[in-house]
Order: sequence, then structure tokens, then C-alpha cells
Amino acid sequence: MNDLREKTRSKEETIDALHAVAEEMHNRMVRGEPPRMTLPVRSKKNISFDERLNVYKYGKKKTIRDATSLGSAHQLLRALFVTEFMQEMIEGQKSSTLREMYYISEGWGYGKFGSQNESNNLAEDLEIVTGCLREDFKLRPEEDGARIIGNLTFEERNRRGEWMSINCRDDVGDSGYGVPYNVESEKLRLVSHDIDFMMAIETGGMFDRLVENGFDENARCGLIHLKGQPARSTRRIMKRMNEEWGLPIVVFTDCDPWSFRIFASIAYGAIKTAHISEYLATPSAVYLGIDSDDIQAYDLPADELTSRDIEALKAEKSDPRFQSQEWMDQIDLMLELGQKAEQQSLAKYGLDFVTDTYLPEKLRQKLGIVIG
Amino acid sequence: MDKAQRIANKQKQISISEFFEKNKHFLGFDTHQRAIITAVKEAVDNSLDACEEGRILPEIHVFIKRLEGGNLELITQDNGPGIPRDSIANVFGKFLLGSRFHAIRQTRGQQGIGITGVVMYSQLTTGSLTTVMSKIEAESTAVRVNLALDTKNNRALKSNEERIPLEDWFRESGIESLHGLRIRTVMAAKYQRGRQSVHQYLRMTSIVNPHATIRLHVVGKDGEVVDQGEWVRTTSKLPRPVVEIKPHPHGMQFGTLQRMLKSTKERNVKSFLRKEFEKVSPLVAKKILEHATLDEKRRPSNLDVESIQRLLAAFMEVKIQAPPVDCLSPIEDLLIKKGLEKAIDSRYAATVTRNPSVSQGNPFQVEVGLVFGGDLPSDGTVELLRFANRVPLMYQQGGCLLTKAIESIDWRRYGLEQTGGKGVPKGPAAILVHLASTNVQFTSEAKEAVSDNDEVFDELRRALFEVGRGLQSHRKRVGQREKSKEKFDLINKILPEIAAKSSLMLGKPQPDLSPIITKIMNAVFCEEEVIWDPSEKVTRCKIKIYNYTARARAYTIIAKWPESELVKIGENARGGRKEARGLWAWRLDAIDPGDMTQIDFTVTGLSKGDWKEAEVFYRGNGEVIGCEKIDESLLEEARKQERLQEVVEEFEDEAGSTSNDQVLVGSPHSHGESNDEWQTGNKLF
Repeated sequence: MNDLREKTRSKEETIDALHAVAEEMHNRMVRGEPPRMTLPVRSKKNISFDERLNVYKYGKKKTIRDATSLGSAHQLLRALFVTEFMQEMIEGQKSSTLREMYYISEGWGYGKFGSQNESNNLAEDLEIVTGCLREDFKLRPEEDGARIIGNLTFEERNRRGEWMSINCRDDVGDSGYGVPYNVESEKLRLVSHDIDFMMAIETGGMFDRLVENGFDENARCGLIHLKGQPARSTRRIMKRMNEEWGLPIVVFTDCDPWSFRIFASIAYGAIKTAHISEYLATPSAVYLGIDSDDIQAYDLPADELTSRDIEALKAEKSDPRFQSQEWMDQIDLMLELGQKAEQQSLAKYGLDFVTDTYLPEKLRQKLGIVIG
Repeated sequence: MDKAQRIANKQKQISISEFFEKNKHFLGFDTHQRAIITAVKEAVDNSLDACEEGRILPEIHVFIKRLEGGNLELITQDNGPGIPRDSIANVFGKFLLGSRFHAIRQTRGQQGIGITGVVMYSQLTTGSLTTVMSKIEAESTAVRVNLALDTKNNRALKSNEERIPLEDWFRESGIESLHGLRIRTVMAAKYQRGRQSVHQYLRMTSIVNPHATIRLHVVGKDGEVVDQGEWVRTTSKLPRPVVEIKPHPHGMQFGTLQRMLKSTKERNVKSFLRKEFEKVSPLVAKKILEHATLDEKRRPSNLDVESIQRLLAAFMEVKIQAPPVDCLSPIEDLLIKKGLEKAIDSRYAATVTRNPSVSQGNPFQVEVGLVFGGDLPSDGTVELLRFANRVPLMYQQGGCLLTKAIESIDWRRYGLEQTGGKGVPKGPAAILVHLASTNVQFTSEAKEAVSDNDEVFDELRRALFEVGRGLQSHRKRVGQREKSKEKFDLINKILPEIAAKSSLMLGKPQPDLSPIITKIMNAVFCEEEVIWDPSEKVTRCKIKIYNYTARARAYTIIAKWPESELVKIGENARGGRKEARGLWAWRLDAIDPGDMTQIDFTVTGLSKGDWKEAEVFYRGNGEVIGCEKIDESLLEEARKQERLQEVVEEFEDEAGSTSNDQVLVGSPHSHGESNDEWQTGNKLF
């Protein structure tokens, strides 16, 4: 069983790894060279398919961030401030959220972050450079994880350190079970289930529709709400359910370029977290819909693509994750139609159409699953 | 009755009031909104002209009150010389009055219809009389009189004329002046705010009349303040007095020349040419007559049409010195800058006063100002401020030569937005254009748009290019300054912190940063700062050169400064030499790697805000961030121009000392032999 915790380092290892970053800078300065930090290029240009792991990982392209420009010098100084801060937390047995770290940086003078995005990115940079995880750094996301509904049972260790059993159908309200940010086995155990597959849903509206229509029971599935681009813990728990329970993962999203990216991050690995793709991505996940050709096949109410949408589609055409014929066809068709559609557009045919007709048809087509 | 006869009779019966009524549009009274602007304009223009002639610093107050029934009451008050009692009726009551029709000189009002039109409009629309109160310095009391127009006889009818004791004059006028004029009139008009308003007109007027203090107070029916404005003078320097000049041969047209030949008192064409024209010396007169194959003894009144045409042609064939240009009164670039900065809050102001030039015998001079940045809105088109002889032009922007010149320039290269590189540019800027001339040609009687003229157009473009280049290099300087500030932050603040933090964290000694700094910067930087020193009343300029390269560097640094007769360099410990007019140079000793050299100097004769940014150039190898390499060919050109100027001045001085009539004729080539001397005498370095 591959546990993300396997990657975990001891306190000393983590601090040493962080010090190595400072050391690279210091050594350069001693030699009379501008300090620098070397890290992999974090863009679609530097991800490639790892045959062994079956997911997309960073390639060999490195970027050197050196103190010859103000922006990079700021980054180096910030990295040192962050290192110092993490060391304090590790030694003081504290933790903080990424957002807290962003606010703490207010007191860092020239090391202050311009935006939360910058501080999140730097935390990821340090993960990559040190080979540690943000959990090692005692950093938590404040992003809330997914909600799950369905006949499956977890054991979660609560704040008092006791394991409590939760059935995601019987022990939760309509909003479902809230996935915690840490879903490793030290915190969460997968106990039992009586379902055939997991369905991941992009929008809250559609999730609530399926819950209200009792789709989880009728189709014998678990429903998980992705809340847009899924958080690490959401992708991680899907990966565990897929590996430990052998459940197929199907993904049901809007029909637009951003939905394709949501699916790619679930199935192939996200660009930003390609260093840990093998822990987060579920290569066997299936894109259920809405497909570009559904817009015509089901005559769905559609919106015009915006110029941003078109740009995003064109970018996807050069994204290594979308190079399969199926994806190229999807993207080209969407460009050709110039249209996109929301999940909720299925309501054109009534509130039950999605559960009575659309999803059963798609499940039969794509997975051979017959409902009822 | 014969048809033609009937029409003729009818025509005779058209009175001036009918004429006025029919032509309200080009007299500026076509709408109620415009009527009040025109009325204020006529009164204020007269006040400014009168003050200028009387060498008085103008103080002008404009009061407007909304009355019941939609009329406006307008009161204008100035501290001008006033009008003698006997002249009041003439000034206010007669159309087409004034010597202005005949003299050639630059004045604001050029038509003489002005204030009489206001009296007329008031009478036609409300039946009210216009009250004039005048105080002249020579008299101990003021005079007040009501005026009506007798349009049939083109004269004013006075009533209720009375003498006002001095203390009442002081009280009523609201100004402590022993001379001045107050006009009160009531008219059908509407007060509005906006781009075409009394407020905008006065604001624009104050920009080009920085020596005037103008106040505006507008109240509603119940005395509530509707609008107000106050533009206090920023200089007590009066505009140069304008001088009347004779016509110049190059400006002649057939009809005018024919008329002049008929009416001259001169007995022969040669003396006619010499006495009735500017810049025609005996030698020039002789050459003209030779070209025209006319006997110099011919009586002017006897010339036939064909001879007049030959004479006209000869005017263009003979080299004649340009007409004198001291008849023009430019605002001058520093004052435009002050005026603009007073009215518009901006980051950067550039102004150019071109040398006077001549088109068709008429001297003209072009001035351009550009303000940029600050509070100016960055969306929308640039505000255009057009002026002719210091008079704001507020209407017909599109059809005006001044606008066309602005539109003809590709402003994109100077950093303003412009669709297709044509049209009025967009961006946070305002452009001022002033045309001063003894004869501004307008497209129509409304005198709101300057008509096409190639020479004026070209001069305008040259001036606009110049301010455009100024804006461009300002933006470049700002960009470079930001860039070097970044670099300085990097090496002075961030790098030392990286070194301190990493050393502390690893428990290692601090590395020496100087070789790293040289590697990071690998450039020479120039920082310039111009500040006003209020205690010493001087402008201080500091130039710092930092060498962050691995080699020692030596440069000559050249600073551009606003040199003029009154503006001199004060303290200047490093000495240096004058490179050309407005360019001072310092040869610096080699600056070692990591070192900095500073140049400090002061400039006297400027006031606060006159000079805010120094352009710095260098001569030497490589690149210096924050200053430009001097363009030697441009420098040479500037020196050549200066030498030429000095030759001309020298020659004029000599000529002036021997004979008053002798004036330089022709091109500088005739003085080639003295050029070498000048060169050596002026040689630099």
C-alpha cells in the first residue's frame, strides 16, 4: 500500500533539507556569485508521462532563480524567511495554515508576500526542492475538502485522538461527509462500502440534485463534490478509494475547457503538484461528461465560448496530458462549435432527466454499467 | 417699381440691429449658453488688452447672477486704465471702431465689434441699458453712465450720466485701484458648466495670461453659489509690449498693394518701398525695382496693373530680411509651464516657444505645452487647449489648424494612445497650442478655428515633435529611474539580508558582497535630482554616477539646464565648461569599481517648480543607465545655430551703430569670412 506518509521525513531530515536550500545560496555568495535556487520548471512544458507510475511528473527542465533581478531576489529572501518560520514551527511543535503564513509575512519587511498565491507557490517550491511535503513543514491548507454522500464507511480520528466510525449515508446530513485536509491512514481509515463506483461532481448544484433524486442509492454509487478544482485531499481520498477498494472513479463536470483541466488533475496529475502526482492522481478515472458532442446530441442550451475559453482550449492542445485522440477530438469539437454548456443545462428536460436518462446512458456507454 | 430698385431699397433698410440679428451665430450669440461666454470673453479680452497697453497687472472680476425670468446679470470689473468720459460712448456704442483695423500688431480682439455686440445683444433681448462705470487715474472721481444703442446711426445714447465720488468707486468696484472699468449688463442667457463654459474660458485665459488675476463668482436667484473660480497670477512679469509694424513685402496681395500705392504720400516707388514696408533698405528697394524692371523714379500712383504685378513678383524674388518679430508677444515657455501647472495638476510639463517665423509677410510664433500624468484622467482623449493671440478658442475644434497639427502627429511613439497613429491622442495628458501673430487667419468670422497655413502647420508640428520627444525621454527617464531603483533596492537591501539570514541559519561567516554586487549590477548608473532650495532661493541639481562594473570608468557628464539671460549657474564646485547653450559639461576622473562620484551645482534666477528634472547625457564608453549618450551631431548642430545667432546679433549691433536704416539683408553666407574667427573664439574643450 502506498501511503503518502511513506514520503514523510523526520524533523531533523526536514530541517536539513530546508537548510540545504540556504546552503546553496550561501555557497554561491562565498564564491562571489549571486545566490540562487534551482527548481524544476513548473509548467505544462515540463511535465511528461511516467510509464512506471502511470501519471504525469515533472521532467528535467530546471529553472534557476538567482538574485540578479529584484523579483527573484525577493523570492530567495522569502524562501529564507519561510525556512526560518518552518524551522520555528517544527521545533515548537506548532502548525499554521498557508493563509496564516501569508499574514505572518506582513512582518517580514522585504520578505513580505505580495499575494497569497505567491506564498502558496513558494511552499510548493520548497516541497519540490527539498522533497518534503507541506505536512512536514507544518503547513495546512485552509481550502475545504470535498463532501461525500453514499453507503461507505470511514473511521476518522477526531480531535481527542479517538477513532469514530462514520457512514456517509446514515451518519450525515444532506451536505454529506466533509473530507478533512489530512486523509492519510493515521487520520482516516477506509472501512467498508456497498457501492459499485464513485462519481465526482464539479458543481454543488448538480451534487445536490443527485442527492435529492436519490441517485446514490438508485445507482449504487458514492457521490463526491469536487468544489471546482479539487483540493489535494479530495484527489488523495479518491485515489485511496480507487486503490484500496477497487472502486471505479467517474467524473461528471460542466462542458468547458476548465472542466477538462479538473479531470486531468484527477486522472493524470496536476501541473502544480506534479512532484506528488503518484499519490494524488487516479489514472483509471473516467470522464463521463458532459462531452462536447452532448451539446448537439442532447440539444443542450449552450453559451458562447469567451476569448479566455478559446485561449484555454488552445493551451490544452499543447498540454502533454491532452494529447490522446479522444481529448483532441473533444477540444477541436468545442472550438468548432464555439460553445460550452453547464451541467445544469440538462434541466432543460426536467429535474429528473439527469438521473433518469443522461447519467444512465453515459454510464452504459462509457463503463458498461447498467442501472436498475 | 423696378424689381432691382425694390431690392436695393430693401437692402438699405437693413439696420445694424437686423444685421446683428441675422448674424448672431458668427458674432457668438447664437445660443443662450454661448451668449454669456461671448459677453464675458469680449469684456475680459478688452480688460486684458487695456491693462497690457497701460502696463498694469490685471485684476479682473466676473460676477454673474441668475435673474427671475431666465435672464443673467453680468458684471465685469477690472483695474485697467479706464476710459475717459468722452470716449465711453464711442467705445461701447459704435461697431467697427478702433485703430486695430489698420495697424499691424498682435492684439486679442481684432475686429472692434466686441463689446458693442454685448450692449446690442443686451438691448435686443431684454431691452435693458448697459451701465458703465469708469475711473481714470487723472481724475479724482469716477463716471457712471447708462448706454443704449442708436443702431440706425451707429452711435450710443447716453443717459443718467453722473460723477461718482472716489470712496463710492472703491466700495462699488471692490478693488483698491485708482483706475478701472466696471460694466453691468442684463441679457437673455443661460449659465452652464462644462467644457464650453465661462469657467473653462477663464481657466484657459488664466493659463496664457499668468500675469493676470481672475476671479469668477456665479450666484443663483437666491444668492446661492452656482460656480466660482479663482486664478491668481503666478508672475508679475507683464507680457512684452507689442509694437506696431509696417507691412512686409512678402505678405502683400494685389489689392492691398494697389491701395497702398494710391494713397501713399511718397513721390517715387523707391521711397515708397523704403518707407511703407518693413525691412526694405535702399539696397533691397533697388534690387526689387531691378527685378521688376521698374524705374525707381516712377510715381507710385501711376503704376499700371501690369507693373504692380511685376512688383509683386519681384517681392518674392529678392531676399528680404524677415519682418521684425518683437511685435509679437509670446507667453514664453516658463510662463506657459507655470500657467499649466496652476490650472492642471500633473506629473510632467514640457513647453516649447519656437522662434518667431514669417508666413506671407506676417510674423507669427508658435508655442506648445504638454502636461502629463498626475491627476489627469488616463481614459478618454487628451484635452486640447487652443489659443490665438492669448485668446482661448473653445469651439470648432475639429476644423482648426491647431487641432489638425496635433492630429497629424503619431503620438504613439511618444507614449500616448492613438488609433491608427492619427487623430486626437488618448491618455493622461493635455496639450496647449498658442499661435501668436499680427494676422491670425480664421476659418470664419466666429474666429474659433484657425485656417490652414502650411508654414504655421510646419512650425506647429516642429514644436509638437519637440514636446513629444520631451515626453518620451521623460517617460524613459521615469522607467530607467524605476529600474535603477529596483537594482539599488536589490543590492542595498535584499542581498545583504539574504547574506545575513543564510549565514545566521547555517552558523557560517557572512560572505563579502562586493564582487557579487558588481556581478549583479554590471553597469554604471546615473541618478539625478533637482530640488528647490527655499532658504537660498536657488534650484539645486545633484548628479550621482555609480560604477558597478569590474573596471574603472571615466566619463564626461553633460547636464541640460534652463539657461537664459536671467538664469545662471551659481555654485559649481566641480567647475566644468559650457558645452553649448543650456548644456554644461564636467569631465570626471576615473571612477573605481564600486565607487560613486557626485556633481552638485545650483542654478539661480528660477522660482520654485520652474525646473524639476534634469536631462543628463554622457560622453564615454559603454552604457550608463539613467542617462543618454550625447548625440555629437545634434550638439554640433546646436553650436552652429548659436554661432549663426551670434553672427547675426553682432552684425545687427554694428549696423545699428552706424546707420539706423541699415539692416542685415540676405543669408549668412555673405559673412563667411568672419565664421572662422567665431569658431575659434567659441571653441570648447
